[in-house]
Amino acid sequence: MATVPGQLIWEIVKKNNSFLVKEFGNGTASVKFSKEPNNLYNIHSFKHSGLANKKTVTIQPGKDQTVVLATTKTKKQNKPSTLLNKSVMKKEFHRMAKAVSNQVCDNYYRPDLKKAALARLSVVHRSLKVAKSGSKKRNRQSS
Amino acid sequence: MSAAAARPLVTVQSLESDMATDANSVPLPDVMRAAIRPDIVTFVHGQISKNARQPYAVSKRAGHQTSAESWGTGRAVSRIPRVAGGGTHRAGQGAFGNMCRGGRMFAPTKIWRRWHRQVNVTQKRHAVVSAIAASAVPSLVLARGHKIEEVPELPLVVSDAAEAVEKTSAALKVLKQIGAHPDAEKAKHSQAIRAGKGKARNRRYVSRKGPLVVYGNEGAKLVKAFRNIPGVEIAHVSRLNLLKLAPGGHLGRFIIWTKSAFEKLDSIYGTFDKVSEKKNGYVLPRAKMINADLARIINSDEVQSVVKPIKKEVKRAPLKKNPLKNLQVMLKLNPYAKAAKRMALLAEAQRVKAKQDKLDKKRKPITKMIDVVPNCIWIVYNDPAVGDVFLLWLVISLEEASAINSASKSWYKTMISDSDYTEFENFTKWLGASQ
Repeated sequence: MATVPGQLIWEIVKKNNSFLVKEFGNGTASVKFSKEPNNLYNIHSFKHSGLANKKTVTIQPGKDQTVVLATTKTKKQNKPSTLLNKSVMKKEFHRMAKAVSNQVCDNYYRPDLKKAALARLSVVHRSLKVAKSGSKKRNRQSS
Repeated sequence: MSAAAARPLVTVQSLESDMATDANSVPLPDVMRAAIRPDIVTFVHGQISKNARQPYAVSKRAGHQTSAESWGTGRAVSRIPRVAGGGTHRAGQGAFGNMCRGGRMFAPTKIWRRWHRQVNVTQKRHAVVSAIAASAVPSLVLARGHKIEEVPELPLVVSDAAEAVEKTSAALKVLKQIGAHPDAEKAKHSQAIRAGKGKARNRRYVSRKGPLVVYGNEGAKLVKAFRNIPGVEIAHVSRLNLLKLAPGGHLGRFIIWTKSAFEKLDSIYGTFDKVSEKKNGYVLPRAKMINADLARIINSDEVQSVVKPIKKEVKRAPLKKNPLKNLQVMLKLNPYAKAAKRMALLAEAQRVKAKQDKLDKKRKPITKMIDVVPNCIWIVYNDPAVGDVFLLWLVISLEEASAINSASKSWYKTMISDSDYTEFENFTKWLGASQ
């Protein structure tokens, strides 16, 4: 299909879409977040949007303390089930960081997203760590 | 719409009941490449959705079923019409006004309000075409909120075996096979009681919309099989409804086409070159920009070869310095200023010096007699009447002499002017006689 270009999609999507979250204020005073999975900063903007770009990067927590790094394939835009190159990572942080930056910028995929990808990696990783140790929740039921 | 180079192929998803060899592909109909115009869709959708309205109004006699008359002035009550008669609470109460209890409302609603809206046929068609095109863009369908992560391809075309499905359980299986189940599930889980008064007005439940199944052959069994699945809607290709294609005015409904429906699209809507067969004289609308990919255009050779290089360093305006105070800046503006200034300074110095000299001369005593004496010549002059007159011939230089001369003259002048002597100058006048 003649790929509808990202700019067009952005113009349609930017005003309203199911992932848009506006917080803190009304009208122009609010901050706009976006919940779609392919958005690294979860910010609602063209550069970060997972909807409007052909090449996107996503970093999500997987099961059991793994981090899933996925990039979209440019050739398979209209086949949602096979769109993502997923790779599940269960390494120590430095190796994962190297893998992420390789995938994102060293192969010129989306070098402008490097910082965002690494930032997200560290946040996701940290959130998994807490889940693992299970913050000591005192069982308030039993005395 | 790159000149219909190779129209991309859409693979037809095969279902269990298909023969393995049947899986094939259909070229993409041109409708799916039409211009996507959310503005037209929102407008048309808004107008069209008014067409199913039923009129409502207040009874036209409401509030007027009294014979109330105003009591006029003088009775210590307000002047609104009051109900006549007696013997009941109602007597004497205000009537008729919108402010009165039991009175008629302001501007009672009428049934002849304009409930329906007309929309131009081409506009309606444009909207439908846009909506169909938008349904082929995964981003837009995702943005509308459908769960299409497991769908193998968009637009989703299913073999005609689906049209023969009779049982709802089989229909569900079909959905699962083609990856549309998450969307239908989402709709099912979203069923909730409506917030607001609508729940008491026969609109009790709300839920999300699931996939729209479009079939091509009349009387397909598929209708009965799919219609009971929550969220799923059915439509025949030749009767596509904008309200279903873009629910809420939002583009990007998740549509499941059957193969025959998909193939009919070309004849129903035509292509960019070919007129539609079913819609008299209709051609697909053209987009304002054929190639809307700005990034590619900007980075293309044609554009980049003509474009000036990027200005990396930002030139900022320097602080303006005052040439009247700052010599360097003045010189930048007016190089002659240096010479002029130099001349002015020299002239000034000269003037100062000249003045000083003049003053010095005036202030310094011409010469003290005592100092001069050694330089004098005594001249003896024998006057028979007086005797010896000793004349002192001062040896004074010529300059000194003239200086003395001029000094004495100016002294005399100031004396005169100070003492208003001018009138006394001519003795003749003074005396009043001429001699």
